[in-house]
Amino acid sequence: MTTSRLSSGGAEIDRSSKISFKWNGKTVNGFEGDTIVSALAGSGHQLVSRSMKYHRKRGLLTADYWDPNCFVQVGDEPNVRAGHRKATNGMDISAQNVWPSLERDMKSANGLVGRFLTPGFYYKTFVRPQFLWPTYQKVLRTFAPGGAVDHQSQPLYFDKRYTHPDVVVAGAGPAGLAAATAAAEAGASVLLVEHDHAVGGHLRWGSDADRDEAARLEAAALAAGVEIMTDATVTGRYDHNWVSINQRSLHASVERLVKARAKVLVVAAGLVERPYVFAGNDALGVMTAGAARRLINLWGVKPGTTAVAMVANEHGDAAVADLEAAGVSVTSVVDGRNGEFVSSTTASKGALSSVTLGDGSTVDADLLITAVGWTAPTSLLNMAGDRPAYDETAARFFPTKLPPEVIPVGGLVGDGSTAQIIEHAAGVGRVAGATGISARRQLQAATTRAAVVDGAEPAIPAMPEPLGRDPHPELYRSDTHGMVDYSEDVSSKDLVAASKEGYDSVELMKRFTTVTMGPSQGKLETVNAVAVLAEARGETIEEVGTTVWRPPYAPISLGALGGRIFEPERVSPIHPWHEANGVTTILAGQWIRPDHYGDAQAEVTNVRNNVGIIDVTPLGKLDLRGPDVPKLLNLLYTNKWSKLAIGSVRYGVMCAEDGVVLDDGVTAHLGEDHYLMTTTSSGAAAIWEWAENWLQTERPHWQVHVTPVTTAYASINIAGPKSRELLSRLTDVDLANEAFGYMRVRTGTIGGVDDCIMWRIGFTGELSYEIHVPSGYALHVWEHLMSEGADLGIGAFGLEAQRIMRLEKGHFIVGQDTDGLTKAPTAGIGGLIKLDKDDFVGKTELSTLDVASLPVLVALQPVDGSVVPEEAAQIVLPDSNDIIGRITSSRFSPTLNRSVCLGQVEPSHAAAGNIVTVLLFSGERIPATVMEHHAHFDPEGARLRG
Amino acid sequence: MLIVPCPNCGPRNSADMRYGGESHSRPDPDSTPIEEWRNYLYMHDNPAGWLKETWYCGSGCRRYFTTERNTVTNQFREPAINYPEPGGSQ
Amino acid sequence: MADQLAFQSPVRSADVNEGPLTLVDLTATSSQTLVRGAESGLTPSFGHATRRDDGVLAAATRPDEWTLIGPLGDAGTIASSVTSEGFVTVIDQTHSRARFRLAGDTAAQALEKVCSIDLGDHMTPNGAVVSASVAKVTCDVLRDDVNSTRSYLVICDRSFADYLFSALSDAGAEFGLR
Repeated sequence: MTTSRLSSGGAEIDRSSKISFKWNGKTVNGFEGDTIVSALAGSGHQLVSRSMKYHRKRGLLTADYWDPNCFVQVGDEPNVRAGHRKATNGMDISAQNVWPSLERDMKSANGLVGRFLTPGFYYKTFVRPQFLWPTYQKVLRTFAPGGAVDHQSQPLYFDKRYTHPDVVVAGAGPAGLAAATAAAEAGASVLLVEHDHAVGGHLRWGSDADRDEAARLEAAALAAGVEIMTDATVTGRYDHNWVSINQRSLHASVERLVKARAKVLVVAAGLVERPYVFAGNDALGVMTAGAARRLINLWGVKPGTTAVAMVANEHGDAAVADLEAAGVSVTSVVDGRNGEFVSSTTASKGALSSVTLGDGSTVDADLLITAVGWTAPTSLLNMAGDRPAYDETAARFFPTKLPPEVIPVGGLVGDGSTAQIIEHAAGVGRVAGATGISARRQLQAATTRAAVVDGAEPAIPAMPEPLGRDPHPELYRSDTHGMVDYSEDVSSKDLVAASKEGYDSVELMKRFTTVTMGPSQGKLETVNAVAVLAEARGETIEEVGTTVWRPPYAPISLGALGGRIFEPERVSPIHPWHEANGVTTILAGQWIRPDHYGDAQAEVTNVRNNVGIIDVTPLGKLDLRGPDVPKLLNLLYTNKWSKLAIGSVRYGVMCAEDGVVLDDGVTAHLGEDHYLMTTTSSGAAAIWEWAENWLQTERPHWQVHVTPVTTAYASINIAGPKSRELLSRLTDVDLANEAFGYMRVRTGTIGGVDDCIMWRIGFTGELSYEIHVPSGYALHVWEHLMSEGADLGIGAFGLEAQRIMRLEKGHFIVGQDTDGLTKAPTAGIGGLIKLDKDDFVGKTELSTLDVASLPVLVALQPVDGSVVPEEAAQIVLPDSNDIIGRITSSRFSPTLNRSVCLGQVEPSHAAAGNIVTVLLFSGERIPATVMEHHAHFDPEGARLRG
Repeated sequence: MLIVPCPNCGPRNSADMRYGGESHSRPDPDSTPIEEWRNYLYMHDNPAGWLKETWYCGSGCRRYFTTERNTVTNQFREPAINYPEPGGSQ
Repeated sequence: MADQLAFQSPVRSADVNEGPLTLVDLTATSSQTLVRGAESGLTPSFGHATRRDDGVLAAATRPDEWTLIGPLGDAGTIASSVTSEGFVTVIDQTHSRARFRLAGDTAAQALEKVCSIDLGDHMTPNGAVVSASVAKVTCDVLRDDVNSTRSYLVICDRSFADYLFSALSDAGAEFGLR
């Protein structure tokens, strides 16, 4: 065993609390506080995965969140970061994408054909022949990386939260902690976000003094009132400091997406240790110096027995000291500051066995640690518009230009002792705090409902003196080629080859080779890739530049993005009755509506013979008040409204400015300066906004109040020859035809409920009354109607029956029989377009239309009445598939015992009696007759007006 | 998610608003030549820079207003301007 | 006659009125009247609410619009108390709206899971009124603390009420609701 558990040490494990879990079916023991990787390493398990393309044996590299080859399946959860996830008792963990096992993975045969799996091979292979694509898909799927999705998994509980802190600090290392505390002490509300499970950053795996300092910093932050989130990642910074945070390890939910509007964002992301590129740099037992320090100091794990160390900074020196204190024999220290380097490794069965140094000598070892430098994870700053610049002396990128509300701190901006970093960060924190408070006060002052701003405006201190930058050797690639992107299996040789093929800009190289496109999103790979490309092009790193970083900073689960999935549902007050009476509902927009109660055809017949009632509550209803309402009606509708008498109702069509049909409905003149407009159900909200738009932006001097009352009333349509008889049993309003004729409106009491509105209109073509009953009492009235109508043969009917009946009568539905291009004359309402009116919406286009060239909406009847064409079936020329129209509505009519349709056809084919060809979805072509009227049934409308 | 300065409510998330597009005065339909009318209906300036545009504060005060926004930086010029008070006194 | 019929609330879930966080449906026990027009002379100014001497809660929910909330059945009385000089419209919204009260020390924390408005004391103090999306439904939210305990009146369109009540219960579950 190379790796093993030390008998003492490990700041984060609790040796008194043992845990055990399954790893590929075998039991592994560990301690509370272990990550999955540290527990595996502590038990001597080095092999964790197989690489993506070549299925090479892989193990830990960084022993932290970014570890590129430590993704495992935990139960039904795929792609778990084993370097970050805490191990718990009873976990069932397995390797991903291996067959038949991790040890004996047959897919490693990929390695043998590596020559043919050059970068971008998928652009060049698996292309022809095209008929094999489904096979290629199956093959490629089995080789795709990533874990398994269990389709039987139960959905988990994810949620969201909004927050408005004055300051968000991303990263809780010493700089982040100090900045957060200083900002909070200045009076700002502060949210501190740390992606690891504990705060303290690199102090946690440092010396005892470092750990004490971390504890002190944490206590100070808590005392100052900082809200701290651990196991949470700032995943993106958007416009105006809209910041997304993916928070885990909550009791209330599996993961939470926190959306923060931060006045100030302080980025304290620290530095990420960069791997070194050399041949065999992915052998088991090769790791960063930080990995070794974490294993020893956090989890009490001995990383190996015999080690070679390549170090180029103090952190590397400290790692060597930690190794020696842990009993590892460090046989060779290669100092990058003196130009020494590691050239290659040899491995036995994937595990490191010896290291060849730059001077040619070879050393036996089972552990190789590297400390060759740091990468600044500037992604969040990039998202704020920064384009970092490379500093050759310090061998890393630094931020250049940021908006004042985004402030980097700590390792991102310079180097220093812990005390210097803390002091600088505290100074930044004071600036951030004061800036945040000032921004909050401005927001308060600009917000009508907010509390009055009091107290003095805080003085914003000057930024502290910048931190210095320590020189560091530039160490990217050795004299051999090795892995650059471990998770995508992209080597430096691949990058050079891509460059030679012409993909020699950093953006092209990235997309062609997929380097940096894996789970660490460039944190470990970008700078090495840029350095290799610079070398291949004979340029500097600064000249080559970097790619653009976009959110998310780290991968985020779809569950977190989905959250609670708020999909509002709307129901009418009569819904409980529908549910209790066998309704089949349909979702129309957000409304749950009754579609039928078992037999729509029977419902139609019952309405035509007796009486039926339908709940049409979603019908848009707008209350219009004011002396200028007729002007509004004349503006929005194409027809004339000035002379509509009180108590009368008129039908109108609205067009958009381009003459396309927008909506239709009936509007009633209820009283002086009082009208009630109806719209289509789906148009209710849009037409309200449409009216407001015209009133506010073009006609602000008109005195009109438009108020939606769609849900103030339940709307019930009572239809059928016995409807008058039925309604008269519930109201004292005189319903005789002479007193209350077609297209009239009345108000009164129905079933004991005052303030109801009754309309005589007729979408179904039967004698019918549409009653609007105040919602709080509507269910009573519906039930009353049902009981009073029992001897009349009453039956409830739903949308499907209504659609059949309106189609029998040829009444078009906006959005069904018209579309986004249908101009008003097409719908057959040419008579409603009054071009002699003053300006109305659409007049200009309508007056210039060549009406004769427009498609015509016609009624159609398939010659074979038993065939019901599908809606949207195309109408074609008899001898070809040239389209001359389409079926817009189609049903079987129980009243006529045959199919009936509406459709749009080109004018040359729209003559009554013309036979057209309908192309059904099956490919069958059937003849259909163009009818004289839109109405298939009762074209004179005698039943309506009786 | 932009912060849009509603002149009534104060700064609000853009998700609380509906974007109304470029703000152009509606030409007089009776006297405007048809080509100019169609230009107004269908053509946009689409500048990379300052743009006068309309917003509707749908989840807030239900008022339309115009602002100037820089389409490159998403800065807003204050103040945003309400349309004249509806239901008008004058 | 309508007094003999029971006014039906759209909410089908039970109130949660025990425990540290409560959610109570007030729809069936309150009236709501909308008054539009600056010439009504009503106060307070947009974004604020006050309790009048007659117990009616007057909330300026939009510029030149006031929502008056009182006991069920009083909409008529409230309407006639509004001066009708000038261009003023009074509309009964008792039936078209649902009214809930969310109350408790954690009320703001529960609400901020479903609402993007800054509910802190600076931005939404006691007496503040704001129209906002709550769980994707546009609502009027009034902060109306009771005996120094954080409390919000949430008013939404009646048709969304059952859905919204459930969404609020779900958001408040971790704080003791449901």
